[in-house]
Order: sequence, then structure tokens, then C-alpha cells
Amino acid sequence: MSALTHAAILKTGRYRGVRIDAGEVETARSLHRFMLRLRKCEEALAREYHPADEMRCPVHFCVGQEAVPAALSLLLNDDDYLFCHHRSHGYYLAKSAPMEALFAELYGKTTGANGGLAGSQDISYPARNFYSGAILAGATAISTGAALGLQLKGTQQIAVAGFGESATDEGIFWETVNYAAVAKLPVVFVCENNNYSVFSPQLKRQALDNVSARVATFGIRSTAVFGNDAMEVHRVLGNEIALARAGAGPAFVEAYTYRWSGHYGPESDDLVGYREPSEIEAWKRNCPISLLEEAMRVRDLIKPGERESLVLEAQSAIDHCFRFAKSSPFPDAPDWKALNLSADSPLADKFLVEAELSKFDAHQEVRQAKGY
Amino acid sequence: MAASIPTKSSRTAAQSQVPVEHPEISFGEALNQGLRQAMELSDSVVVLGQLVDYGPGVFGSTTGLVERFGPARVRDFPVSESAMTATAIGAAVVGLRPVLVHHRLDFMLYSMDAIVNWMALWRFKSNAQSTLPVVIRAIVGRGWGQGPQHSKSLHAWFAHVPGIKVAMPATAFDAKGLLLESIFGQDPVIIVEHRSLFSLKGGVPEVPYRVRFGRAAVRRTGEDLTVVAAGAMVPFALRVADRLAALGVEAEVIDLRTISPLDTEAVCASVEKTGRLCVMDPAWQSFGVAAEIVASVAERSTRALRARPVRICHPDSHTPMSSALETQYYPDETAVVERLRLLATRG
Repeated sequence: MSALTHAAILKTGRYRGVRIDAGEVETARSLHRFMLRLRKCEEALAREYHPADEMRCPVHFCVGQEAVPAALSLLLNDDDYLFCHHRSHGYYLAKSAPMEALFAELYGKTTGANGGLAGSQDISYPARNFYSGAILAGATAISTGAALGLQLKGTQQIAVAGFGESATDEGIFWETVNYAAVAKLPVVFVCENNNYSVFSPQLKRQALDNVSARVATFGIRSTAVFGNDAMEVHRVLGNEIALARAGAGPAFVEAYTYRWSGHYGPESDDLVGYREPSEIEAWKRNCPISLLEEAMRVRDLIKPGERESLVLEAQSAIDHCFRFAKSSPFPDAPDWKALNLSADSPLADKFLVEAELSKFDAHQEVRQAKGY
Repeated sequence: MAASIPTKSSRTAAQSQVPVEHPEISFGEALNQGLRQAMELSDSVVVLGQLVDYGPGVFGSTTGLVERFGPARVRDFPVSESAMTATAIGAAVVGLRPVLVHHRLDFMLYSMDAIVNWMALWRFKSNAQSTLPVVIRAIVGRGWGQGPQHSKSLHAWFAHVPGIKVAMPATAFDAKGLLLESIFGQDPVIIVEHRSLFSLKGGVPEVPYRVRFGRAAVRRTGEDLTVVAAGAMVPFALRVADRLAALGVEAEVIDLRTISPLDTEAVCASVEKTGRLCVMDPAWQSFGVAAEIVASVAERSTRALRARPVRICHPDSHTPMSSALETQYYPDETAVVERLRLLATRG
């Protein structure tokens, strides 16, 4: 698998490797349903974004990158932790956080996942152990901290970080991989390598394009996978997550994929000229949803009209979410202080006593540390 | 912040407290005792930092903890300050109460992204649904040629950022009380500890106790002049005050104890009484805590000031190594006594 790169994938052309093994029928159906719903959700948000100008926050759409979130949606338990980057909607939905709170968050409404304080690129849903953030590699290190906590508690829970290959430009990523490896933490790093940091391709920023090969030298399990083959992504991640859960330490999975949309917002940014139209077309021919549908049709897993009814079902949910978001109220002016710092310290109240101030002699000699 | 803002009655009580006798231990020993008690009180408390599990124990503050609590909770960390801070954030998300230790604050600057982009705004951006009880102990060096990369006290930077509390204990009592209050609080705290204070002894109760944020201590009462001091400048201010007293000038010395939240109420109450203000901050003068205090007094007690306020800080320069230059760089007690004698008699 180590030969897998963006260049190699383009050279191969149309991908023909999607397999649905015995026992994977339900997985295929679930992955398909999730990806279709996510695609429709992103397309609807993109359509609505500018005409109304009611979503006044940066939105990074994940059209084309549905496979990883879909796989995670089947593999993570409710009490597992997921931390991701700014391209967050797929991960948010993967943790079963409610779609209506996502929409309302984008609209800046009180009913948003974070009451309109965070928006798309900083959204979280603590009740589902889901967090995101826009500074690329930060979430990778935070997921490692969560894994440290879970390891100390001795639970079967794991932490997963979802991010792009640009996050591996940042030094903290490598510090994190090192610490996860040395402490054998239950964390799985999922790198969606979409080849671009906004416009800048990976080989302009890094001398080698196979992140997983470099990560492997840090002493953790590391795998590359064609990231638009949802079945294979599910198998690889499933294996790594099971191992991490069983105490076998961290893993890195590099899923080669591609974003169809511009870096942010609904418009194409292809006029910048940073990628060839032929490249985009090649990746669209390797659409993760179409690839899976093709394999499902071969096995007669999609009945006539089934796809249409799945789309209708998704569309109906999406329509509800728009209505919900638009009809929800904007927040009132908050208590800024209370928003930033807690008013109470229940644990300090429980454990600590008040004490009388004691004497202090300011004339005692300072013993200078000679050296360090 | 309701819990840490004192009512009028509690403030009066705090100010009129008669100092009581407790066992005398050093600032470093008080930190050690506080950590040990916190770890005994809750399994969720863990200590992360370079060399925290070796005998010297970060100037004695973590000595013996690994023997008592084991290497899972007292963790030597790679020289990855950035990842260490983010690790503490994640650990706090799942319910731990991590205490990070930096032998020198200067190393902590690798973790500014984790602190400013993640830790400080975690509670805010979750709409107060998720909080981070992370404590960062950062030690500031002075003397023996620490030079420009071992002596920076950047408490004003941190205090500028919403969502982080900043403590600057000056006494052994406050070192333990503020540490325990921070560990068992709900929010991120940066404790700036000055290396020169570690050997200083003071009375420290043996029980686990709290020192609340945003409550300054009046270390000495006086009618002629208000001296507001932070951290390592508190013993300095008290010595200056004693020498001023010999000259017939009675200075009131206020120890801020915490920079964020800042007890401007206590400062203004004192200035209303004395009409004269000096702020001593162990940091560069420009854009610092001293400026914030002077601004607060100008806003809240505009008419009280009978003379121009005085700031005793470090020059706006990096710290020199040479001991001859260190003497020039740091405030000189005799010169400050003379300056404040003049302040008390002007206006």
C-alpha cells in the first residue's frame, strides 16, 4: 500500500477495487446511506449559502470526502471521542450529533450546537464527545490527551483525530505522534490526504508525499488506503480502532481523497488555476458514493427506486433543518464574563477549606540558585 | 466569577484578618504539599512535565510524587511543550485535572497555540458546555546569569487573553492555596512562579485550603502611599515599606496574588485612602500589569490621586547575563525607597 500516492491514483484512472465481502452487506448499506445524506446536506447548504447570505460564517464543504466520516459513523461508540479540523460537517454527523443543531449553528442561532458562538469551523457537540477547530493540527494533539485520560481511566473508549495532510506541515503533529507512540495511547489518527492546503499541493510543501511512510518510522502502526473506497476505509479503520480499543496502542491511517468544492464556501476556486480540470474530473469519476453504488448494484443491493427514496428522506430532513434554523431566534447579548470563565468551583468547594492568612517575613534572605 | 468576587462584608473580614501561626515551610515545599494533597484528594489529578519524576523534582515542587502516586500520574514528558499543553487539554476534556510544569516559562512559548487558540476559548466556543481545568505552572528565573531566555515573566500576555486565569503567588501560603484552588477549579489557570521565591518560608496550614482568585491581600497597612505589587516584587515592596517607615512614611502594600481576575477594587479602596500610587511589577513596563493598574485607578478613582503614579518595573529591554548588568536591570531597593519618599511628600 505504501506506493499509494495522489499521482499513482490519477495514473490508475477509474478505481475498480470496491469489494463487498460476505457479512458486509449491512455495512455497505449504512455507509451508502450516510454518504448520500452527507452529500445532500453539503449540496443543500452550498446552494443556500449565498442567495440568502444568512449563514455568515466560513464553511468548508466536504463534498467528495464522505468516506472517512461514513466509516467512523459505524465504528465509533457514543462514548468515544472525535476531534476534527475545520472541514467538520461529516465528522459532526459521524458522531450522531443532530443535523438541525448544525444548521442552526451555521445560522448563528440560539438553537445551534454552540448557540451560534462557534460556527462551522469551531463546532462541537460535547454531549456526543465531538469537538472541532480551525487551527489544523491542534485537534490531533488534543485527541492524544483525551486518549491519555481514557488510558488512565482504564476504559475501552478511544479517541480519534480527523484532519488533512496539511496538518502534518505543523510541528505539533509530529510531537503528537511521538508521544502517542511512546505512551501507547488508544488514539487513531485519520489523515484525509486531499493533496491541497487551500491551493498549495503537498509536494510543494513537503519533500515526500506519503505521510504514512514517515509516520511509520515513529513506531506506530501506519497504513495508506484509497480514501474513496468506503468499504476499504471501513475495514482499515475498523481494524485499527479495534486494536486501539484492545490496548495495542495508536495507529495512523492515511486516506487519499479529494475535495470537489473550493477550499471554503460554495464557489469553485478553480479560477486560481491551482489544479487541472482533468484532475477534478478524474476524481469525480472516483466519487466515493458512485463507486460504492456500483459495487452494490453488481450484488443487487440497491433495489429500483431505493436510491431515490433515500435522497427524498435526506431531503426531507434537510428541509426540516433549514426551517428549524431559520425560524430559531438569534442570541441575546450574553454575559461575556460568564461565557469565558466559570462562576462556580464545586470541587474546590468540596475539597478545600478557607484559611486565615498567615505571616510572611519579607526580610529573609533569598537563596540564589547557583546555576539552573 | 460570582464565587470569587468577595462581598463587601467578606472583603472587610479578609482585610482585618489577624495573621495566624502555621508550620513554616518554603514556597517550593508548599507547592509540593499542595500537589501531594490534590493527588490524594482526587485520582483525576495528574502531573506532566519534563523531569517531574526525578529526585530534584522541579526545584523540590514534585519531589517524591512519583514514588507515592506512580509513573502513570507523574509523567515525564518529551521536550514537546506544544503537544504537552494540547495533551493536557484533551485529558481535561475526558475528566482529568492535569498540572503542567515548565522549569522556565520561556519554553512554554512553544505552546502558545494550545493556550490561546484552544485552551482559552474552549469554554466560550462550547457555549459553556465544556470546561478545561488545566493548570500550567511556569517558573521565571532571575540571577546567576539567567539571561534573556530564562527570565521572562509574560503574565501580562496571558492575562490579556479571556478565558484564562493568571496567578502570581508571592508567599508559601499563597503558592499552596492558589495551586489547590486552580487544580479544583473549572477553568484553565497559568501560575507564574518566580524562582527567587522558592526558598522563602512562610506559615502554611497543613490542611488543603483555598486562596480565591481576584482577592488581593493587604500585606501591610499605611496611610501615606499605596504600593501594589505582584509576585517576586511583594517581598521587595515590603522591605521598601519597612525602610520608608523608618523615614516616617507609612506605605500600604497590596499583594495582587492574581493578575486575572485583578482585584482593582482593593487597589482603588487603598488609593482612595492614601492618594498616592506605586505599582511594582516584575516585568517590562510597557503594556503591562502596572499600566493596567494605573489605568484602572485613573478610571475608577480619578480624583483620589494627589501625585503622579509611579511604576517600578523592568526596563523595556531583554535581560542581561552579566551580574553587573543584572544589578542595573532589576529595581534597586535604595533607589526605590528614595523615589517613593519623594512620591509621599509631593502633591
